[in-house]
Amino acid sequence: MIGIPSFVLDFFAALMLLVAAVSAGRLVLDRPWRRGVMDADIDGAHVLMGIAMAGMLVARLATLPNGVWTVIFAVMTAWFAWCVYRESRGRGIRVLVDSHHSPHLVHSAAMVYMFAAITAPAAASHGSGMAGMGGASGGMPTLAVPGVAFIFALLLAGYAVVDLDRLSGPAPHGSYLATVGAAPANAVLAGAAAGGGTVSPGSSSAATVRPEGGVATLPEQSVGPGRSAPAAAAPVGGGSVRDLLLNPRTAAGCRIAMGVTMAFMLIIMI
Amino acid sequence: MSDIAVAGGRATWRDRLGTGAESAWQPPGARRALQLALAAVWLLDAVLQYQSFMFTKAFGQMLAGTADGNPSVIASPINWDARLVEHHAVLLNTIFATIQLLLAIGIAWRPTVRLALAASIAWSLGVWWFGEGLGMVLTPGASPVNGAPGAVIIYALLAVLLWPSDRHAATATFTAARAVGVQAARVLWLVLWASLAYFALLPGNRTAQGLSGMVGGMADGQPGWLASLDNHAASLLAHQGLTASIVLAIALVVIAVGVYLPVPAARATLVLAIVVAALIWVFGEAFGAILAGGATDPNSGLLLILLALAYWPARKVPATASPTAAQPGGHEADGKGATA
Repeated sequence: MIGIPSFVLDFFAALMLLVAAVSAGRLVLDRPWRRGVMDADIDGAHVLMGIAMAGMLVARLATLPNGVWTVIFAVMTAWFAWCVYRESRGRGIRVLVDSHHSPHLVHSAAMVYMFAAITAPAAASHGSGMAGMGGASGGMPTLAVPGVAFIFALLLAGYAVVDLDRLSGPAPHGSYLATVGAAPANAVLAGAAAGGGTVSPGSSSAATVRPEGGVATLPEQSVGPGRSAPAAAAPVGGGSVRDLLLNPRTAAGCRIAMGVTMAFMLIIMI
Repeated sequence: MSDIAVAGGRATWRDRLGTGAESAWQPPGARRALQLALAAVWLLDAVLQYQSFMFTKAFGQMLAGTADGNPSVIASPINWDARLVEHHAVLLNTIFATIQLLLAIGIAWRPTVRLALAASIAWSLGVWWFGEGLGMVLTPGASPVNGAPGAVIIYALLAVLLWPSDRHAATATFTAARAVGVQAARVLWLVLWASLAYFALLPGNRTAQGLSGMVGGMADGQPGWLASLDNHAASLLAHQGLTASIVLAIALVVIAVGVYLPVPAARATLVLAIVVAALIWVFGEAFGAILAGGATDPNSGLLLILLALAYWPARKVPATASPTAAQPGGHEADGKGATA
């Protein structure tokens, strides 16, 4: 009897470390402490989740004890729950689908569940972190109350496909992402003016110009509440690492990778 | 109203939290929503395929088990495939899981939705034969309660019905009719649910303990609450196999013809279809036995619910008349300008 091949676990662990590194890069480059960018919480959450999940997948990457991670993600869950509550006023159940923070609330809650419900295999005897899912530890850890894992996996799969849909959604010139990447700042501002709105530094959304002269806000959270529209619309083709990291598609891609990997982990530990 | 939420540079908490941005997002149209649901199920299948059990010889043996009871012309290729999987479990299962992951991503990613749906049809048909033994429809043990005619064939059916084409949009009265037309969609529905009624009345299912044994057997390996549900349902069905089969078959026939009825009656039968599918999924299939480990998909109940939603009569029929569908940026669009 063998477990999941190590190369599969290594791949997902590497993916999570990449997400953590990218999110850390976003945090550093975007300098949230100087501009009050609220997406710092999301990027920070991705950093922590990436490190924690890599440690769950591969034992040698484990960092903190499970109890510490549980507390960290419990606090994170409470924070995102509060954010969702603030967003939900006057919007009802719809907020669960299109809110800025609800996917991150689910991600955080799933992390709490994973660390709180995990049952290490009998053969494993690691003092910190979990045993890792590879065969070397002597078996696959499992989760208590597997029905909760199933529900989380369904939710995560749902958010992942909705994110993919949004990213590839319609835009005036090809995909939504192409517009995000290509729109120069003045076009964004002109579109805002045509739509009768204004864009101020620190506004909650970036905009693209629609054919009819209106503006469309970017639905992805990574555009960044508090992040200026021109910054969010930095061209991808510019080639700089900064542009690449700060591009909304990068953050959205991190969230999708995070959700898929988390669903994978939940299912294989049932 | 402008989509730019913040005016005057003084952001409230809600603005700073991004509410302004998300409030501009419009949910996808009915067909696109169902395509995304299908993508989510493929994604779930993909991660199920990564379970440790699938990388062992036991997966190949499980595939070989679907050959039992099938005619040799069907069974021989299954056995050949099962031996191949047994000998190359890690490589082949990694490929299988990755294919399903790509199908999920492809359906969710608008520019590739057609390619991914077409590929999912081909993949589903292959799995239906080599992985499910044609859903066991040629065996005496087929039953709607245990997943006949095979979950994966419903994936293929959904891919056809949700194909992003609007050749029949002008006359379509429900989502499933937009690509293939009302009559074709109704015939497909009729054939599927009538076949379920037929399977319900097979001799093996009419025996006194047939359904009871089937439901009770699902309790093995399940969490306590689900095992308890299954055991209670099995107790209720004990010695009632014939009656339960007849009642189930009648309900399935009513559902089958429901799409030909006037809209209010059609809606009622679709609700009945959703309820029956949910009962089958919970009690007969135990959520595809996912919680017991070793499942490859959520089985047919969930897919039947999605299918019923695709037949729900629309209030406004022609999607092409929708202003959002008419423009490339409309939220009805589901790939390369096609409307959904």
